[in-house]
Parts: sequence; C-alpha cells; structure tokens
Amino acid sequence: MSSLPPFWLLVEQHGDELMRYARRLSGDDAEDVLQEALLKALRSYPKLGDGNHLRAWLYRVTTTAAWDHSARRRRRPEVLTDSLPVTMTDPHENDDDFGSLIGQLSPGARAALTLRYVEDLSYESIGTRLGCSPEAARQRVSTAVRSLRKRLT
Amino acid sequence: MKLEPRFLEKVANSAIQEGIADIVYSEFDTPLGRLLVARSDKGVCLIAYPGESQHALLGRLSTSLSPRIVLSQEALAKTQAIIISYLEGHTSSIDIPVDLTLVTSEFGRRVLDNVSLVARGRVTSYGRLAQECGHPGAARAAGTALGRNPVPIVVPCHRVMPSTGIVGGYGGGSWRKQYLLELEGALPKS
Repeated sequence: MSSLPPFWLLVEQHGDELMRYARRLSGDDAEDVLQEALLKALRSYPKLGDGNHLRAWLYRVTTTAAWDHSARRRRRPEVLTDSLPVTMTDPHENDDDFGSLIGQLSPGARAALTLRYVEDLSYESIGTRLGCSPEAARQRVSTAVRSLRKRLT
Repeated sequence: MKLEPRFLEKVANSAIQEGIADIVYSEFDTPLGRLLVARSDKGVCLIAYPGESQHALLGRLSTSLSPRIVLSQEALAKTQAIIISYLEGHTSSIDIPVDLTLVTSEFGRRVLDNVSLVARGRVTSYGRLAQECGHPGAARAAGTALGRNPVPIVVPCHRVMPSTGIVGGYGGGSWRKQYLLELEGALPKS
C-alpha cells in the first residue's frame, strides 16, 4: 500500500515550474533534461518513504539530471575520437548526489539551494533563516541557480 | 510556460517502453459521457463515469496498485476505440482483458466473474446471481458487489435487474444502464 500521490498528478502540478527551472539550468536542452528528470524520478518513485517535500525532491532530481546531461555532452567529443570508451555509470543516480553537486558551490549558494530544494522552505522562511527579507532570499536562490548553471556549461 | 501535450506524451511513452509506468490512463468522450480508463500490464483495471474526481480515482489506484501512474492517449488508443465502437453500436462484443485487483473480497470477485457470463441481450436478477455465486439469499450483497465493479461496461454489471422488472440502480446512473440494455437488445428502444 502506497501513500504517495499518483506520479502524473505531480507532473501536472509542478511540470511547468520544473521546465522553467530546467531552462534556467540547461537553456535549449531543457526539454531533454526535464524528460530525463521525470523518467529518473518515476524509476525511483516507489522507493520514496513518504509523500513529503515531493516538489523539492523533483527540483533535486532535475538538478542532477541537468548535471548528467551536461556531463554527457562534455564527454561526447571524446567518444567520437578513438579514446577509450567512456563509462556511462551515473554518478548522480541517488538523491544524495544533489548534495555533492552543490558542494562545489560557495557556502552561501549551497545554503540557499539546500533551504529551497532540500528543506522545501518558502522564500519567507529562507529569509528568516538567513536573516534577510523574502525578496533577498529569492535573489540568493536565483544567484545560486545561476552559479550552478555556470558549472553545467 | 505550459508543458505541451506533445512533450508529456513523449515522456509517458518513454516510461511505458522502459516498463516503469505501472498504470496508464486516459480520458475520452463516449455516448455515455467522458470516461476515465486505466490499465495495468494485466488489463483494464478502472473505468469511471463522470462524477468522481480524477484525483480521488487516481489516488485509489495509487494506493491499491502503484503510484507509478502516467497519462497517455496514445497507449490507450486501441482500448478507447474498442469501447467507443461498442458504445456506438458498431461492434457487438468488447474483448478487453481486465485486471480486478481493485476488488478485494472473494465474494465480490465471484459476483463479477459470474455476471461476465451473462450474454449480451440477456439479463439476470440479483437473487439469481447470488445463488449462482453459492450464496442464495445474498441478493443485497451481490448488488453491493456490482456497485463496486471497477470496470463497468466491460464487466457487464448493467445486465442485472431487479426481479420487479424495472431498470434499477446503477453506479453510472439509471439512464446509462438503460442505454446499455437498449443497445444490447435486452430492452426495447425507448
């Protein structure tokens, strides 16, 4: 017996904002990235313990999918040459990989993304935690996403 | 930015091909109104008439079968064509595999198995159905089991009428039962 909501209702509820997020991270590759993210999410969906913070979870999965997509693109020229075959194991298959991915960012950016996409806090709550206004919190998350994107391109 | 249906269909089809979509559903218009139809890998597991909310219906599937539910018009196109063709009177049988996982009681399953044996154009009574299920006198329980039929039309619970001869109750409403019985020739066209 599952307590999780039907997966497609999540897609209908959050799909638009996830596409906007994927576009911010991956530009014109957003559709491919979001498709990979949704399939990745569907694969692991039944293993989620409960239905809490599903929106934040989808953001994390989209982030790692964008990273994987970018990594594959970077590898592609090597594959086309006569170099050794590239191992296609997925280093970010697990949700924990979101942590290692954002671990490469500054502490401020890391905190903003963690509060938004792990703890699933509103901008108001993030502002309270960081000691700034909700608008400033929104700016910090936005700046952190831009930093993330720079690492993906 | 609104997600395009083309994109969503592509995601759903990839999920189906990969075998990670346990339930696929779609909605379509028929002479009996807009139906929500869902299938598992075993067969059609839910047909719902308008009325109950989509969230509630899909939530039931998620709880009882699997939360890995996707929407795909393409994947259910054949099922949709079979159902519409039957309801429009172009075909006289509706051969679709069914998955009765949502029916949890043994008696309920027996009632639905037995009502599936009632031929098109024929009807039976609640009392007789209960008797055939080995529970004479359990007409009311048989009626309850029919009312919980998750796949109406395909499992023909509409072919059961009160012994008084009136059309009787139906989950989708009496007019739909009347339509089906007239379509099948069990009742004269009104």
